[in-house]
Amino acid sequence: MWSTAREIALGDTVIAWLTRELIQPLVVTPGKDLNIRFGYYRHDDLVGVPYGSKVGSRNGKGFIHVLRPTPELWTMALPHRTQILYLADIAFITSHLDIKPGSRVVEAGTGSGSFSHSVARSVGKTGHLWSYEFHELRASKAKEEFTRHGLADIVTLTHRNVCKDGFTVESTADAVFLDLPMPWSAIPQARKALRKDCLTRICCFSPCIEQVQRTVTALNDAGFTEITMYESLVRPHEVDQVPPMRSVDDAREILKKAEQKREDKRLRQIAATRQNLANKRKREGETDLAEEESHHDTASGKRTKTDEIDDIPQEPISLDHNIAGSSEVADATKPTAKTTVSKAFPEVRGHTSYLTFACLLPASPEVIVDA
Amino acid sequence: MAEEASTQNKIRSGDTVLLRIPNGDTRSIKVEKDLIVSVGRLGSFSSNELIDQHYGLTFEIVGKDLVVLPPQNIQELEETDATNEHIVGDGSVKSVTPEEMAAMKEAGVHVSDIIKKQIDQHTNFELKTEYSKDKYKKKKEAKYAKVFTTIPPTLFNVCEYWYNKDQGRIRDLRIDALSQMLNLANIRPGGRYLVVDDASGLVVSGVLHRMGGQGRVLTICDVETPPAYPVMTQMNFPQEFKSIMASLNWATCQEDYTPIISTWDVEEDQIRSEKQRIRVNKRRAASDLLQSTREDLFAGEFEALIIASEYDPQSILKRLNKYLGGSCNIVIHSPYVQILSDLQVVMRASAEYLSPALSEVWLRRYQILPGRTHPMMNMSGAGGFIIHATKVYDDPSAVPVEAHRRLQAKLAAEAQKNSDVAPSQQDEGDTAMTDAT
Repeated sequence: MWSTAREIALGDTVIAWLTRELIQPLVVTPGKDLNIRFGYYRHDDLVGVPYGSKVGSRNGKGFIHVLRPTPELWTMALPHRTQILYLADIAFITSHLDIKPGSRVVEAGTGSGSFSHSVARSVGKTGHLWSYEFHELRASKAKEEFTRHGLADIVTLTHRNVCKDGFTVESTADAVFLDLPMPWSAIPQARKALRKDCLTRICCFSPCIEQVQRTVTALNDAGFTEITMYESLVRPHEVDQVPPMRSVDDAREILKKAEQKREDKRLRQIAATRQNLANKRKREGETDLAEEESHHDTASGKRTKTDEIDDIPQEPISLDHNIAGSSEVADATKPTAKTTVSKAFPEVRGHTSYLTFACLLPASPEVIVDA
Repeated sequence: MAEEASTQNKIRSGDTVLLRIPNGDTRSIKVEKDLIVSVGRLGSFSSNELIDQHYGLTFEIVGKDLVVLPPQNIQELEETDATNEHIVGDGSVKSVTPEEMAAMKEAGVHVSDIIKKQIDQHTNFELKTEYSKDKYKKKKEAKYAKVFTTIPPTLFNVCEYWYNKDQGRIRDLRIDALSQMLNLANIRPGGRYLVVDDASGLVVSGVLHRMGGQGRVLTICDVETPPAYPVMTQMNFPQEFKSIMASLNWATCQEDYTPIISTWDVEEDQIRSEKQRIRVNKRRAASDLLQSTREDLFAGEFEALIIASEYDPQSILKRLNKYLGGSCNIVIHSPYVQILSDLQVVMRASAEYLSPALSEVWLRRYQILPGRTHPMMNMSGAGGFIIHATKVYDDPSAVPVEAHRRLQAKLAAEAQKNSDVAPSQQDEGDTAMTDAT
């Protein structure tokens, strides 16, 4: 399959990891460049570098990680020609179909080759994968890929519509995987492809429940047993470090302080108003100036005082204040340690497909004799 | 090769075989020549009858013999007008009395006839919907039928057996989680892997199953002698599958470990008896094996590290990290999200682990009977959590693109300042400000 050497060599397929969302495969080619927003690289510079290295760009504008390809990385990096299968489904199907070294597997359709690469890895050199794709361009692209990835001996790719023309092998496969719009129409053909001298298995991959129901009927009619159906998902979690959660006692203290402050302010205002009134009376007693002028003075004087009161810095219950308050409380006992928390991503894949499985039991000797 | 695979799909003497009995439970039995196997209520039979039979077949126990039953497919049910509306569950329904039942069993009446008699005497049976009737029959079959099905020893089936039997002993490793781990670790024939398995050997079983006897597996455990890994019993691995595995423990895997006693190293001329020679040779072989296994570990360059352990994963990583090759897959399972969240924080802070990702597994099974398709009423909520990361070699001189942009901005600002005729003091102040941002 892919290189197992420690260092990268010319011609190797390498996975350039730019970010988790930006993963791209490249074939190390003499004289070729990689020019991305994470800098400028020359393929020749990668030769002899150990797999898994962080590589700085030539122009100092960032770095990439060069990874050894695996089917799982390939699934994340591959050029999409169709909707593809992802890890959770691939892994579950592989286990349920008991795909292992030496297994002979039939797959239709090939699609973008996500599942094919994983199966090829698992069956190894002693096993085989027959893959069928009815779309000619997709078939030829996939064939190129398999050859480039050193899978030509393990994978046989055929361009054909298996629903119409069936498979190229008969009584050979340990397992059949159908990712087709109408899997039920290929089930009689799949039965032919499966070997009859031991228990064999089939999986049909369909996004709609109506497809599942038709598939189940077809499997039942074709003599498959142990029909089961599953849905498998991955819930990615994001991990964060946050300050420890505060006690409601903190909030209580802050509220009490605020209440006290408000009361103090009210008392000051009352005192100021009283003082003001007293001053006014004093002035009225002392002078015999025109009433209007006097009234104007009092009004403006009062306004000034109100402004003054308002200028006293208030301490509203703001977030910043609260945090400062809480850290004071925490500091008293120990330095604030952060708490690790995790939660599911806000948006996740909610459905991929239903996985319908069934078994085909070996034909009893009498049946073989009859045939 | 087809030959070989087909014999592997047959029951051999010495196999441990899983049986599914009518009530849905699974039993594990040992098949050996001339051994009588007893399966509780179902009765007993000679295990000779199972040898050389294909896995997956259904048998009925008739006397002491086994009769193969044809595969059963799902029966379509004809809808009728019955609605269950006239059925009252007040215990007034007349059915077969316990005495009649005992008499029938005594006389060896076949289960299908017992059920037929029950239906005949069931006063309200005809009022039931076809779905209810089907359910009733299935319930009775589960109760009286003396049948069982042999379950192929696939990783899927063995994992399911252990999960249902005692999920604590396999650390909640449900088959979907285990499958994802094996894929993420890129297990393939010919690979070299490090495994820390405190899940009764389920992870080791999965790894060996996917290697097919090619490659190398080292396990590190917390016991003095090689661990038992009980899950491997049901896998029925051929010897060559197991021979690629060797074990060290947390003491012997240390580079500075030296065995405390060395009396095994007796000089040739000091051996006085044949018995002593055998003993000395045995010790020598054990010591040589230990030494070669240690060297294997210290050679490093492992392709994956897979952990399902009761020990702190951070302490395991610390010990084993140096033996991992570049681009090595690190896959860690835990039933608890807290443990892996803490681990993720630590791994994220290290430049040696690329993009540690934490996820939870989720699996739902469906009932898919015709006209009665729905998710199972009960599902397993605990499959655990997985962290996957890739081991990478850091290069501290490589500049992230954001830092590069900041650096460019700073240089541009300085160039601007220098072109103006500015006092040198102000220049310094500005640079400090740029640094602060």
